[in-house]
Amino acid sequence: MKKRHQQKLIVLSIGLLIAFNLPILLLFDSSVPFLGFPVIYIYIFSIWIFSVLVSMLVVNRYYE
Amino acid sequence: MSSIVLIFILLGYLGFLFYIAHWAEKKGNIKWTNNSYIFTLSLAVYCTAWTYYGSIGVAANSGLNYLPIYIGPIIIIPAWIIILRKIIRISKINKIASIADFISLRYGNSRFLGAIVTLVCVFGILPYIALQLKAISETFHIVTMTSPNSLVFNDTTTYVAVALALFASYYGTRYVDASEKRKGIVMAVAMESILKLVFFIGIGVYVTFFVFEGFNDIYNQASQLVNFKEKNRIGGITQGINWFFLCMVSLFAIFLLPRQFHMSVVENNREKHLKTAIWLFPLYLLIFNFFVYPIAWGGNVLFKDTPVNADTYSLLIPQLFNNEFLTVMVFLGGFSAAISMIVVSSISLSTMLSNNLLIPYTFLGKLNNQEQITNNKKIVNIRKIGIFSLIITAYFIYRFFALDYNLVSIGLISFVIIAQLAPSFFGAIFWRRGSRLGAIWSILIGFSICMYTLLVPYAIGITNTASTFVNEGLFQIELLKPFQLFGLNYLDPVPHALFWSLLFNTFIYFAVSVSFKGNYRERNYAEMYVDIDKYSTNHENAFVWKGTAYISDIKKVLVRFLGEERTKRALKIFNAKYNVDSNEELADARLVKFAENLLTGHIGTASARILISSVVKEEKVTLPEVLKILEESKENIIINKKLIETSNELKKISSQLKNANENLVAKDKQKDEFLDTVTHELRTPITAIRAASEILHDDDEIPEELKKQFLQNIISESDRLNRLIDKILDLEKFETGKQTINPTLNNLIETIKKSVEPLQHLIKNKNIAIKFDSSAEIICFYDEDRIVQVVTNLISNSIKFCPETNGKITIKCKVEKDFVKTSVIDNGKGINAADFEAIFEKFYQSTNQNIKKPVGSGLGLAICKQIIEHHKGEIWAKESKKGACIVFTLPKKEE
Repeated sequence: MKKRHQQKLIVLSIGLLIAFNLPILLLFDSSVPFLGFPVIYIYIFSIWIFSVLVSMLVVNRYYE
Repeated sequence: MSSIVLIFILLGYLGFLFYIAHWAEKKGNIKWTNNSYIFTLSLAVYCTAWTYYGSIGVAANSGLNYLPIYIGPIIIIPAWIIILRKIIRISKINKIASIADFISLRYGNSRFLGAIVTLVCVFGILPYIALQLKAISETFHIVTMTSPNSLVFNDTTTYVAVALALFASYYGTRYVDASEKRKGIVMAVAMESILKLVFFIGIGVYVTFFVFEGFNDIYNQASQLVNFKEKNRIGGITQGINWFFLCMVSLFAIFLLPRQFHMSVVENNREKHLKTAIWLFPLYLLIFNFFVYPIAWGGNVLFKDTPVNADTYSLLIPQLFNNEFLTVMVFLGGFSAAISMIVVSSISLSTMLSNNLLIPYTFLGKLNNQEQITNNKKIVNIRKIGIFSLIITAYFIYRFFALDYNLVSIGLISFVIIAQLAPSFFGAIFWRRGSRLGAIWSILIGFSICMYTLLVPYAIGITNTASTFVNEGLFQIELLKPFQLFGLNYLDPVPHALFWSLLFNTFIYFAVSVSFKGNYRERNYAEMYVDIDKYSTNHENAFVWKGTAYISDIKKVLVRFLGEERTKRALKIFNAKYNVDSNEELADARLVKFAENLLTGHIGTASARILISSVVKEEKVTLPEVLKILEESKENIIINKKLIETSNELKKISSQLKNANENLVAKDKQKDEFLDTVTHELRTPITAIRAASEILHDDDEIPEELKKQFLQNIISESDRLNRLIDKILDLEKFETGKQTINPTLNNLIETIKKSVEPLQHLIKNKNIAIKFDSSAEIICFYDEDRIVQVVTNLISNSIKFCPETNGKITIKCKVEKDFVKTSVIDNGKGINAADFEAIFEKFYQSTNQNIKKPVGSGLGLAICKQIIEHHKGEIWAKESKKGACIVFTLPKKEE
């Protein structure tokens, strides 16, 4: 895998660190229901799925 | 359900796992056992009974806080592509068998550091194993509806723990070489990972859709409970900081936990398995965590009036609805989660205990004087006893210390202790200057702070109100209160301990590393770790060593641990790899490193070094010298690469030269032949002319008629001579580029008609039928005179070769996209396919002149080819049913 593509994953890591912590996390800090879950759960799980999809895309396309 | 039945189910289940492990071991390296999915699933050893039961407890009692344990790994997993790959490469090259090996080798192969890391791991992991045993034991009592017996020997779960210890100690020590891959264990763990996930989803679906009516129903009922709103939110900045520290501690844990290191690094067969793990493992964790919240809050709703341990909701709910089958399945899932952790952790801990603590400090002298078989037996026995006693000790920790705590709080203590390795671990792979002293002091200080702020208070008992230590601090000094050290009072105990311990730990690591100079060996390994990509193919070169050593001495040591045959084979491989003569007596740095590597798996890095250095005489190398040698070897690698590139280039050029030379030789030969032919061709008419003129000159009395005949001959031979010279000049002009053509737009049909016209009487003479559609009009771009020359030449060739009767010549024109294709076909004797290209060469016929009498000058087609090529067209001979077929193309438009 080329350095540039590896760095895409590093950027994803940094993005996740920011998205999952203060202060961004507190923007979604609510227990109001959405699809039967408190909103904070929905936020965390969607970021989680997003990271799975992005890393899958990157490794499948660029891993040699 | 009665205890006996459940024990039989458990035994059956263990037997099944045993079978899977055995099968995988026997199958060897097939795609079923060695693939990236198995690798990923084996990483799921991260999800233990803590995840399976503990998460639900946390979610029910304090809400979101169960999540950071998975979010930490999720954050760092994409970066595995660089970090974990580096660790895997380093470990593979150095035959590293545990995290203690990894850290101690980097800091100059330090025996003491290895021992410290091992002790930290033991302190961290024993409570964690205790947690698993607690989970097994408590859930066993729930399923069988018995209560734990206060006497250890009367409690059934004691025997379950003993059985587990036996299972693990038998299965974990199949190989003496600890860096060997254990396919059986990996397969069994992967299988368990599937089972625990399936059972957990099962109970999740059951609670959500059978007990309740979907997620909305759970939400609606749960939101009536007190504190629901507060618990399902982060809550504020302070909680946010707690959350951040929990993320960090689990981020470290995914690298540093001995079982995680074992599965992701030691058991990794191929680097490329990471490709799948990077996305599949987070997905696995996501699915696992999805149903935690519904089960937890469903449980809270169902048990709002009965005080039960929320950790066990997943068993209590199906039991409440008398669903015994599901209860047992959930129990088996939890059992799977627990035993895979227990087995893998105890294997890796016992390897560390034997290789980094017991052998280098106690047994090494004894091992060195014995035969290989006894040695191997001894090593395996040390590990067997190690695994067994670890599990039993953990069981006692559970019985005497951890009875009152919930699963997660015990697990988090383990995480914080293990996190003390983080600065030295990450420093090892990214910072060259990190030194042994820095690592030792940082771990020691960090660990002491952990002891003070976490282990001791928990061992005394946090609920123990009589303890003044917890409530008032050491010597009743307010600032030394273990949970509010230096007055830091807004963090939970775990983040609090993590903060202070890692703060001191990291700072000391950096401060000591930059203050004191490390020795040359540290720096040597530092270079090797940080720059692993440069050394991964010939890492033995990166080992700096000076001194005298005899191969026979080293061999003797190796034989004692590997046996005669394996030693011989290994040395053979070494000699072949580095092109060393097998009669060589003196060993070099590469062989010393190679031998250390061979021993490492058996007795650990530290002991390997001690053993090898006992038979060799090492000279001290200064630090600058190490750097110089490494620099040189790096340069050498680069120079080598460059040399290879240049030599490849040279090879290419020389082959080009060879080709050119061959061409030239051929051309030279052609030139000679050409000259021969030309002289021959020129001489023939001249001889005829000379003979005729001689006769005319010498004999005056020749009859008038004969005289005329001779004069006629002279004229026609001169003509022939003239034509020949014209053609040669023509060709020469084309070839040297002096000849120019003046193309204009013309009607090709007209041109062909014009060329056929003068040949009409020849055609008639030979009775040849000519077939040509002259009605159309095809405009293309060419020099008409030249094309007339070409067509004339082709048709006269055809006429020459047509049979005496029924001769037939066909001329076809076909318009293509950018050009017009004209073919001249006859029904003569045809052209040999092998000659398709050669006929366009000058005097081609000269080569087979002996066989047949030349017809024509042999220059016609060569000239045609030159003309057509000057028009940017092509000319070639083609296969035809009967006779010859020559095709040429002309462009339609000016380019």
